[in-house]
Amino acid sequence: MTSPAPRRLVEVASVIRSKNAGPFTVTLDVMFDHADDLRHVVATGVLSPAALAPRFAVEAEALRVVVFAPANAVKITMPRRCGSGSAQDTDVYGTQQHVPLFDIEVPPP
Amino acid sequence: MGAFRCLGASGQLGYGIPVPALEAGIAREPHVIGADLGSSDPGPHALGVGRDARGPDLVRADLELVLGAGRRTGSPVVLGSAGVAGGTPHLEAVADLVRDLARTHGWPLRLALIDAEVRPQWVLDELAAGRVRPLGHAPELTAHDVHVSERIVAQMGVEPFLAALDAGADVVLAGRACDTAVFAAAPILAGADPAASYHMAKIVECASQCADPGGRDAILGTVVDDGFIVESMAADRRCLPLGVAAHALYEEADPFTFHEPSGHVDTTHSRYEQVSDRATRVTGSRWVPAATPTLKLEGAAREGYRTFSIGGVRDPILLACLEDVTEQVRARVAAVTAETFDPASYRLRFLRYGQGAVLGAAETAAPAGYEAAVLIDVVADEQSTARAICASARQYLLHAFYPGIRATAGNLAFPFSPTEFDAGETYRFSVHHLVEIADPGAPFDVVVEDVGP
Repeated sequence: MTSPAPRRLVEVASVIRSKNAGPFTVTLDVMFDHADDLRHVVATGVLSPAALAPRFAVEAEALRVVVFAPANAVKITMPRRCGSGSAQDTDVYGTQQHVPLFDIEVPPP
Repeated sequence: MGAFRCLGASGQLGYGIPVPALEAGIAREPHVIGADLGSSDPGPHALGVGRDARGPDLVRADLELVLGAGRRTGSPVVLGSAGVAGGTPHLEAVADLVRDLARTHGWPLRLALIDAEVRPQWVLDELAAGRVRPLGHAPELTAHDVHVSERIVAQMGVEPFLAALDAGADVVLAGRACDTAVFAAAPILAGADPAASYHMAKIVECASQCADPGGRDAILGTVVDDGFIVESMAADRRCLPLGVAAHALYEEADPFTFHEPSGHVDTTHSRYEQVSDRATRVTGSRWVPAATPTLKLEGAAREGYRTFSIGGVRDPILLACLEDVTEQVRARVAAVTAETFDPASYRLRFLRYGQGAVLGAAETAAPAGYEAAVLIDVVADEQSTARAICASARQYLLHAFYPGIRATAGNLAFPFSPTEFDAGETYRFSVHHLVEIADPGAPFDVVVEDVGP
């Protein structure tokens, strides 16, 4: 089923989450119910480092994006703004950093 | 070697264990029962302060269930990362719980203890020899970081567990340990395929998190030939191929590789197939021994002492200018306390929940809500400084004047009295590095004692 209008990533993906990968790194996963959705979203480039960097207030070079086909997933990894639990931290577990991905517009197939 | 069954008793102990799934796991006659007792997820506090801030009550209750399960099945119980952080005082505190449980129940147990703390001088020597490097995005390690660390632990792999199990331990209680080592040691000792053992352990250490729906209930990992089968022990959770495969994503930067001290598991060609309506088999994982083994080092250093206050704001006129008001309060507090406290001796921040506290610079949404909370957070060189500055900031914010004000009697709704709380020491991770080591078991002594009646 195709739609003429772009959809927000939060409507296309089944999982959008963030968590620490160690105390200095945060990793985000975007997962889809179907491999076709994964292929389409990856092909659009909306999850490339260059496209994502402004959403997270980081440099594109700091972002690493990996496709993990066995789980229909894209993994995005970047440095945390500070060490987990340090004096200026606002998210010790890193679980609430995923929302900047929600409003990414995915062009229709 | 036939099938080797490993029961993951629950997610991290100390939060309460779902008993029905544990009972179902016991009925499957596991060869070993394992549980993870710790993590660096909750931050550096436990490591720095030398204790588990949760208190012993639920830890003891969970231990009682898991040790009891081992008594009923006759299988060893393997526990890693005692007391959350896995340092020496953490290990000793949990060992006391085990001794007390053994006495209370009349269980004769051979208890093997494995300490994970390492001497700062050893770390300094390794650093000077060029054998230490950052892990992930940690900064380069300096001698200063080592000097200010309250303690440093090395995260042990399977090697000390193999020795402990070989010594006939009924219960193995370790300080900081790789979660995989807790579950992989017994099958490896029995001759099971290392790749299958480690990959199984990686999934089982998180209990039924990989299941649909995910949860903290017990899970059974069965190593068979060069693969393994995972099955949640909760009746309403199923281990399906997608969820089991997706577990490689959890808390990892690289979903295709996970590292152990003596090598890594390559899951690039792992295959996930459903073998029943509730179990998945994994095959095709590869174990690659490391040319140079490494151990992960974790250390925590005190940053200061914290006092905080929290108050609600409901007034819409104040909400519209709240950020400006907090900045004015900051300047006011600095001015009126400058004779008493050097501004460099404390850090004051205002976290405005409802106005971008969580995402900070990455927040794009405009504040839009009828209510916000202000967390006044002070970290200072002395607890008394933190308390005084926090109280001053609270009082000046409570009575701050702002343009258009109607509510001239007070700005904050406090949920309790007192309005400030000393949170004690606060720490940072000062060490998160890899050290090269020829024998990854060498730093970890195994000490055996017989406990019980």
